[in-house]
Amino acid sequence: MERPCGDPSGPELSVVIPMYNEAANVAPLVRSICAALVGRVADFELLLVDDGSSDDTWANIRSVATPSRVRGIRLAQNVGQTAAMMAGFDHARGAVVCSLDGDLQNDPRDIPGVLEKLQEGYDVVCGWRQRRKDGLLLRRVPSWCANRLIAWLTGVPVRDNGCSLKAYRRDLLQHLALYADQHRFIPALAASMGARIAEVPVRHHARLFGKSKYGLSRTVKVLVDLITLKMITAFHARPFVGFCVTALVPLGLAASFGLAWLVALMQFGPAKANALVLPGAALLWVGTAFYILMLGLVAHVALHGERETTQGTRSVRELV
Amino acid sequence: MPGPAALVPHADPRLPREWLAHETISLIVPVVRRTDDLTAIHDSFAAAVSTVTRRYEFVFVFDGGFGPPPDALLARSREDCRIRILSFAHAFGETAALQAGIAASRGTILLTVPPYFQVQPQGVRQLLDALRDGAEVAVARRSPRRDGWFNRLQSSAFHVLVRGVSGGCFHDMGCGLRVLRREVAESLQLYGDLHRFIPLLALREGYRVAEIPLAQHPADARPRVYQPGIYVRRLLDIMTVFFLAKFTEKPLRFFGLLGSTLLGTGGLITLALLLQRLEGIGIANRPLLLLGVLLLSLGIQLLGLGLVGEIIVYLRAPHRRGYRVRETT
Repeated sequence: MERPCGDPSGPELSVVIPMYNEAANVAPLVRSICAALVGRVADFELLLVDDGSSDDTWANIRSVATPSRVRGIRLAQNVGQTAAMMAGFDHARGAVVCSLDGDLQNDPRDIPGVLEKLQEGYDVVCGWRQRRKDGLLLRRVPSWCANRLIAWLTGVPVRDNGCSLKAYRRDLLQHLALYADQHRFIPALAASMGARIAEVPVRHHARLFGKSKYGLSRTVKVLVDLITLKMITAFHARPFVGFCVTALVPLGLAASFGLAWLVALMQFGPAKANALVLPGAALLWVGTAFYILMLGLVAHVALHGERETTQGTRSVRELV
Repeated sequence: MPGPAALVPHADPRLPREWLAHETISLIVPVVRRTDDLTAIHDSFAAAVSTVTRRYEFVFVFDGGFGPPPDALLARSREDCRIRILSFAHAFGETAALQAGIAASRGTILLTVPPYFQVQPQGVRQLLDALRDGAEVAVARRSPRRDGWFNRLQSSAFHVLVRGVSGGCFHDMGCGLRVLRREVAESLQLYGDLHRFIPLLALREGYRVAEIPLAQHPADARPRVYQPGIYVRRLLDIMTVFFLAKFTEKPLRFFGLLGSTLLGTGGLITLALLLQRLEGIGIANRPLLLLGVLLLSLGIQLLGLGLVGEIIVYLRAPHRRGYRVRETT
């Protein structure tokens, strides 16, 4: 990294754009962003992150790069949108960081509006795509369901998590360590850290060059990731509590099966009441509850060990 | 996963030796079980390396299970300061020996050398040439092979399995002759028995890896039959690499898929039995009940394990970066 994060002499705004096989979009994108920002934002930089493209994306980035304003970062291999965005965030020097799609579907003219909203005192401002130009059945319907599900599960009422046009304050980003496709859940993750979140309507255009890298196959992954998201936003600081609460469910089931067996015993007497199904079920659920509690302990141990290592490094940093 | 990167010829092809002028080569020899005469190994590899550079050193690492280093080698190391010998107090295995050798070595280019003749030592030059031409890792492949059908069969079975689970198209990961730039060796996290998969792991980290065919040494052609435990361990290694490649960042995608399948099947079975019970058919003596209950509980256990995995990954996230920058403008 050339300069440490949060450089006070850095520009006002860093625009981070992850690109994967978007060779044809590089030059038009840079042109339209500059046209949209010059005169409106005093000082800005563009960070074009080439996510291990196999086409001419990097050559094109190099040809448009300038020492101060347009910077290119080339990753060693294709790591996906989240890690590519993190690369951009880590190299960004601006006090405000704005992320944008590399495919020209977001309109850079919306950036000033998003920034204005951020100035009102928010930490994250998300774009909300109006009149989306994507396929209805394969893109918009799953996206609508996913957004409702995320809002319901996390309690963060963002209507368009998938829009890449977002603006963040730097100091928030420094605490946000994203990995493995978490870019969809940025609002929820940020909210779990106490960030104030706003949403502004933005334009959306159809793709001109290149083709979409999304498909329906990610639905299952998103569903699984949602479970993780719910768990880490709710319980990452105290996993044992989370597992204890979960263990209440099998414990309740065990109690009800046990109770049912007792009732059967009293009604039919020990000779006729079945001694396998009901007590067996009760025991099974007791065992499951116990197992979940033990897992909670393991999670707690993991958390504890991690905290010790981070506190160790932190104290060293203070010494320096 | 893409295959070994096609090598881009260097912009200005320098003379064969000149590019090595500022590099030092460390030859790391992990001695674990099988060995040929180590002084002969030293002689022939020293001869091969000294045709390209005089700046080299040998690091012999003796695993605890091997016993004390042979006297002839010890005598040499007393006379020649370019030979160093490390000995483990306990049997830690080849990967640990390599790691220790890497940590103790001082070269900018690391050459891992098997303690027995696998390929002709002169091949070292070809590996170094690959590095000069832009590769960051170059591994040898025994080709043409001289050994019998049994050795080839077990080797190709191993590689077919590896290719099946994690892609990559390396043909001879059992060959211990490899050249790595120091930064590559230090960034790869090797543990367990992962040394065999160095080219695959390096490729996954985005390094340029070249595979160079070298003629197999006649001494390597003996038929090799291992104990059954060794074969089981190789299988486990392949599973580790598969899991590392796919799910290190998302354990719940693995455990969740498996767990919810079991949970769903168990749920369906118990539901069907419940419906039968409501119709008045007794279920207490049905083995199916046991199966359903077992699947339910297994499914819950797997899901729980996946969640714990996710917590651990989440906790580690601030310390690791999921990308590596190749260059910036």
